[in-house]
Amino acid sequence: MPECFRVGIIRFPGTNCDLDTWEAVALVPELAPTWISHRDRSLDGIDAVILPGGFSYGDYLRTGIIAARSPVMDAIGQFAEKGKPVLGICNGFQILAEAGLLPGTLLPNSGRTFLCREERISVEQTRTPFTLFFSPGARIRLPIAHQEGRFHADPDTLVELEARGQVLCRYNANPNGSLRDIAGVTSPEGTIAGLMPHPERRMRGASTSDGLPFFQSLAAWLTGERDISPLSLAFSSRDDA
Amino acid sequence: MTDTQKSRFRIPAQEMERILSLLGRHPNITEEAIFSALWSEHCSYKSSRIHLRRFSSKGPRVLMGPGENAGVVRVTSRLGIAFKMESHNHPSYIEPFQGAATGVGGILRDIFAMGACPIALTNSLVMGSLRQPRQMTLFRRVVAGIGAYGNAIGVPTVGGEIWFDERYAKNILVNAFALGLVPDDAIMSAIPPAKPLLAVYLGNKTGRDGVSGAAMASRSFSDKESDLRPQVQVADPFVGKKVMEATLTIIRRGLAGAIQDMGAAGLTSSSVEMADKAGMGIELDVEKVPLRDPTMEPWEILLSESQERMLLLVEEDKVPSILEIARESQVAAGVIGHIIPEPVFRVRKGETVYGEVPVSHLTREAPLYDRPQSPRTASFPQHPPHPSASGRHAIADIFLRLLDHPNGGSAEWIFRQFDYEVGTRTLLGPGHDVAIVDLRAEDRGVAIALAGSSHPVFRDPARGGALLVAKTVTDLAAVGAWPVGLTDCLNFGNPERPETMHDFVMAVSGIADAARRLDIPVVSGNVSFYNETDGVSIPPTPILATCGVLASPRNAPPGSLGEGGLRLVMAGSNADLSLGGSYLDWILPELEESPVPSVDWAGLVLLQPFLALLIEKGALRATRAIGRGGLLRTLLSMVAHSDETGLHLRLPLLDTPLGTFFSEAPGRIVLAFAPENGPVVADTAREFGVPLLDLGQTAPHRFSLTYRDRDGKEKALALPLSSLKKKYLSALSGPMETLP
Repeated sequence: MPECFRVGIIRFPGTNCDLDTWEAVALVPELAPTWISHRDRSLDGIDAVILPGGFSYGDYLRTGIIAARSPVMDAIGQFAEKGKPVLGICNGFQILAEAGLLPGTLLPNSGRTFLCREERISVEQTRTPFTLFFSPGARIRLPIAHQEGRFHADPDTLVELEARGQVLCRYNANPNGSLRDIAGVTSPEGTIAGLMPHPERRMRGASTSDGLPFFQSLAAWLTGERDISPLSLAFSSRDDA
Repeated sequence: MTDTQKSRFRIPAQEMERILSLLGRHPNITEEAIFSALWSEHCSYKSSRIHLRRFSSKGPRVLMGPGENAGVVRVTSRLGIAFKMESHNHPSYIEPFQGAATGVGGILRDIFAMGACPIALTNSLVMGSLRQPRQMTLFRRVVAGIGAYGNAIGVPTVGGEIWFDERYAKNILVNAFALGLVPDDAIMSAIPPAKPLLAVYLGNKTGRDGVSGAAMASRSFSDKESDLRPQVQVADPFVGKKVMEATLTIIRRGLAGAIQDMGAAGLTSSSVEMADKAGMGIELDVEKVPLRDPTMEPWEILLSESQERMLLLVEEDKVPSILEIARESQVAAGVIGHIIPEPVFRVRKGETVYGEVPVSHLTREAPLYDRPQSPRTASFPQHPPHPSASGRHAIADIFLRLLDHPNGGSAEWIFRQFDYEVGTRTLLGPGHDVAIVDLRAEDRGVAIALAGSSHPVFRDPARGGALLVAKTVTDLAAVGAWPVGLTDCLNFGNPERPETMHDFVMAVSGIADAARRLDIPVVSGNVSFYNETDGVSIPPTPILATCGVLASPRNAPPGSLGEGGLRLVMAGSNADLSLGGSYLDWILPELEESPVPSVDWAGLVLLQPFLALLIEKGALRATRAIGRGGLLRTLLSMVAHSDETGLHLRLPLLDTPLGTFFSEAPGRIVLAFAPENGPVVADTAREFGVPLLDLGQTAPHRFSLTYRDRDGKEKALALPLSSLKKKYLSALSGPMETLP
């Protein structure tokens, strides 16, 4: 009987990619999805956490801002402090940024409309629990579906992000005006990651299954297959790819 | 009270008299409000009902037909699909964002009221010309509104249609379609068992928004202008999602006896219609209705069209569980009344009775009109045929002309604003002319095809109506799906005009006869009359959605391709390539006077089994039914999204080059396949008796063709591929992105 890791999927009122994320996690044999409510204050027995996409609290006031103040977010903060993996997809990314667990913020798209389409993306930081299975610079295709996905951070933060290798992935053709084409970022330690594209929507199928490695990576990382060299040394510059 | 005959709710004088004679007294304001809602065209279908009887809703797959919130058709041994299309035209013109958003919300409630979990949305939009800034704003806001609701509630918008036409400038059409999945043993009904049930209110609190949306309150009713509240409802997809989840939980746990959404005429129509179907009466206490504004009058509460509300009829012992589910979902709920044995609709506020009307007066005794009809006189002058119609440059010029209009371009600007993948069931999304959604059961999928092109119906209502049915069936056949059910939204002008009524009756008969001929049950539908402004009605515009089922949906060929060297063949009959009602006929009406093409019904039904077999054999790379603009535009739309793939066509002698290239006669599908599959395609076509016409091949960097004209003269035509693609991709997005 192989080990099975419990991946907590956080549901806020208005989350709508929860079932898709559940199915994506369940496709990987070593991972077992489990629901976590926005009201939960404990993540005991959970090995990794995913905040799926959607419109938590209707995106009212500002995307992610109400969810970022839910009881479960304190638990996620403590969970992340222990170095356990946390992934935010789309609205989940917005919530993690709003909660201060990831740098930067997500502003309305430069075109001011919702954008749903497939994008070419380069995976840059491959030493996170979610990208181990990629080689640095890997070109993949993932769909985006958001209205507020324009990554923004002050210039100092941006320099720091680049220097520390905290850019998870970049758009090849920037769809929304994100600074430095950034589609996803990580925490300095790399264990917290957030991205606007939806890996859970490309798990199987004739066209692409480019989302699958994100979840396979998590299983591998939880099993102990990881490179322990410091993140900042693992990646030098975006032009290497 | 000198002028009691004149209605405070714009009920026509003769109908007021009918109310007086039915009641034997004057209605009070509450009762009059109730009559105004239920006798409105919107609720009573008083002008259309007798004609809608032409539709057949029977079929071995039909699990639920008209009379319910939505029709349900069996698609696997255990599952049904519930689907319906509805208009939200008038509100969308007044407030495009909220009007369109509430249109989506309303159709979704119809679906989950049946116990079906919504898995797909589509829409059909008709707007005025984008040359007007006002239309640009309307269009932009309608699209944003549709996206705002569907994206937030998490139901993918998998397809849609757009048509710009100046004749709709003051009456835009916003028709929304939704489809849901329901196990056959868990279908909910709007017909309650004849038991003493309680009426439970679930959802958003009731406010003054949308009061009298179905029958607008008269201005003379209030002295103060400032008291007039907007008649357009406000959407709240966040609450909508919670209401949807609570409703589906209640149904899954078997707690409800009957459910109806509070749509047009809100509380009044949902309560009266359900009581009527049970042959019972119902008593409501408006004091118990959760309100946003406690000063609301009983009639306002009854007519409010506040969104995200459901009415449930339940047994008393189930109430605590339902209230618990509502609490858990953070949705307002409460018992607001009960079913009574006397067949009356009684409205109380606490102990005071505000109105009491026999249910039958509101339903069966509602007016029913067989309105006069007379054919329209020909509205287009006769033009001599275009002088260069068969010349060498004409084909190219005409083709470019078709692309040089938002109607001729890709609709990507619209659908990229819709989340078409949430739920991860979408196998073919927007841009393929037919959408496919995975049922995730028995290796089957559902395909959805829309037909909202009104021009054939304008040219010839009966033939045009039939043509629309045939078009959807062709679209379905292109992915190997066989049709299982049809829903329609009949958008027309003022039914009191005999010409409009004639168009309506002809179109209905055309659609009904075609559906009957193809054994497609019409399981749900909606009529939108009075699309008229300043005495000018819109052209007749029925919009259809046909649902089909297909096996191994992951193998269905897409509508686009990106590789060179594939063979291109057209499958289907070329018997009648008339141009009447086509996009060409619309954009260049002076070109050629031509009838709407007749449909080769026998040939049409061969296409689905033929395509299904080829798909099963894995022989096809891409397919697309010949649609708007005809063959050339269809081919261009197949290659437009690839970087460099084009095509070279080598056609035989053509009797009617215009017809071959631009006719939209249904029953014709372009097949693209690898050359080694040529024999299997040819053999299978022979076996089924499907005619094939060799077109040519896909080829990099080209868009060229050769053919011989009637005199046997060799004709050649080559167009610059990249500029064609650019035209196609930017015909709509260009103006939307460059202008403010």
